[in-house]
Amino acid sequence: MGTVTKLLHKPLKAFTIYALLILVISIPVYVLVVDYIWVTELDENNWLTLQHTKVKLQSKVFTEEDIEIINHIWGELQPGISIQRADTVSSFQDHFYEIIRPNEFDKEDGEDRFRGLTSIIQLNGHPYQITIETNVEESDETLLAVASITLVFFVLLILGFIVLNRNIAKKSWSPFYSTLQSLQSFDLSSDNKIHLEQTNIEEFEALHHSLRQLINRSVSTYQKQKSFIENAAHELQTPIALLKSKLDLIHQENEISPKVTELLSNIEAPLSRLSRINKNLLLLAKVENKHFQKLETIDLNTYLGTAIMLFEDFILDKNLTLTSDLLQTITLHANSFLVETLVHNLLSNAIRHTPNDGFIHVQVKNNSLLFSNSGIQALNGNVLFERFSMVTKDKVSSGLGLAIVKEICNQNKWKICYRFENGFHQFTIQFYS
Amino acid sequence: MKILIVEDEIELARDIMHYLNNEHFLCELAQDFPSALEKIQLHEYDCILLDLMIPGGDGLQILQELKKQQKQDGVIIISAKNSLEDKIAGLKLGADDYLAKPFHHAELAARIESVIRRKQFDSNTLITQNELSIDLQAKTVSVHGNSVILTKKEYDLLLFFIGNKNRVLSKSALAEHLSGDFADMFDNHDFVYAHVKNLKRKLKESGYGDYIKTIYGTGYKWEL
Repeated sequence: MGTVTKLLHKPLKAFTIYALLILVISIPVYVLVVDYIWVTELDENNWLTLQHTKVKLQSKVFTEEDIEIINHIWGELQPGISIQRADTVSSFQDHFYEIIRPNEFDKEDGEDRFRGLTSIIQLNGHPYQITIETNVEESDETLLAVASITLVFFVLLILGFIVLNRNIAKKSWSPFYSTLQSLQSFDLSSDNKIHLEQTNIEEFEALHHSLRQLINRSVSTYQKQKSFIENAAHELQTPIALLKSKLDLIHQENEISPKVTELLSNIEAPLSRLSRINKNLLLLAKVENKHFQKLETIDLNTYLGTAIMLFEDFILDKNLTLTSDLLQTITLHANSFLVETLVHNLLSNAIRHTPNDGFIHVQVKNNSLLFSNSGIQALNGNVLFERFSMVTKDKVSSGLGLAIVKEICNQNKWKICYRFENGFHQFTIQFYS
Repeated sequence: MKILIVEDEIELARDIMHYLNNEHFLCELAQDFPSALEKIQLHEYDCILLDLMIPGGDGLQILQELKKQQKQDGVIIISAKNSLEDKIAGLKLGADDYLAKPFHHAELAARIESVIRRKQFDSNTLITQNELSIDLQAKTVSVHGNSVILTKKEYDLLLFFIGNKNRVLSKSALAEHLSGDFADMFDNHDFVYAHVKNLKRKLKESGYGDYIKTIYGTGYKWEL
């Protein structure tokens, strides 16, 4: 995955680059066009002045001295024009030229560009050369001016793009972002409908339509799957009950050999596990299907005390040491059956997974419940709360106990986490509110 | 003692009958709602085992009918649903107990005994077995008139044995009776040995005969 850009920044980038490119190309074009207009206009102006001068000069008779004086006066009054005897008559053609030389009046400006026109005129039978020069803006100065103006416009353009983009984003894309937010907060396991804002943009409406269809299908599939699990588990209850019942009856028979007795007890263990898995599957499905909605005010410590008492036999059986620090009274607003299940599952887990002569510690403080029990190595926290993640080879485990615990926490918006520290498995439930 | 089993799963119903059919139980069977309704209207039962999901109607309606007719039959709901709502609704409608399937027959038998005893209040709060007598109200046990101090679990075990006389009680049935639903959370039920051993010792010390027999590999039997 490369760098991630916001969708709206993509066109902005492209627009900026394109605008820059066009404006950069436009600079020399402008310069050339301006220069061309400038030069043609000046040439025309020079030519008009020349014609005027020629006509005026030819309409009267001037002596050679007169012409010297005229030239002198011109030189004084209008330096752009001069008349001089031509030594050789090279051509009678008018000739346009361009020259760059220092300006007498503006020394600081350095060199200036001049556009000139020379022509030969016959006066008193002698050829005279008339020269008209006009100062013209140098093309590098034009370039500078055009470039700076272009830059100013470029900046204005980009600022405009950014502002427009932001406005467009706010207005037209707002339904998109609200849709995105709805999708992000959508949870298949707890929501069964998605709210998508009405919009007048065709594509978004089409998107919403498809999304609704997709989500409705997913929700219905999910619901079907959930009720399937519940129904399947439910259907299994009766055959399991029958098997258990038959086993009970076989035990009552008087004449069974020790071999059969052993076989029977070997059947009993997996059957009891099957029964437990099925019971938990049913329970999990029921929790997920929100069968336990009745909320009560619950004193967590009472439930802990009862659970510890109920499990006393199993704790003694494994010679475990159970200590509890109930430093705080936690009052929960939750379903009592679910809280009971949560406590029982966590405690029975701790008892089952603690090696003989191990330690279990229960602690209530800072609005949290901690179960820690001695263990050998850390469990895989990523899959620990998954169904049938099989982190243990335990023959009794249903593989669902922690999944049920997790689901109960999810429904109550409590946070559960697992840690392994100093040889202790630690399960912490953080209660909010 | 007359027992009515309202259960559409015929195999299970037969097993229950088979287990219960001894000297003092007489079982009848109703497989659907109409026949159950008919039977409760015609007869009086000491205890009715009621499955809530039966063809033709809701088991809870049977309870309502019993209440309407002001019948005193004891009722134990046996349900595969194991739903808290059903349990609460059932107990509210006058059921005496609730047992979730699957269950051990021994557990059912003990519960039936207990329901029947409760129904016969004053007349029979005292159980006597040879030199042993149990006062159900005071929850005291005495042998030859000398009281025996039992823990709550030992007392429960004793009643469980007496409710299942001459039947083999598996270790898991005993464990389940002592710790309810949690027994199957654990694979080790050795704690049962400890409690039975203590009970045997205490009864023996008071001079009661050794009626609790160990059945190899299975569990125990209260033999009379």
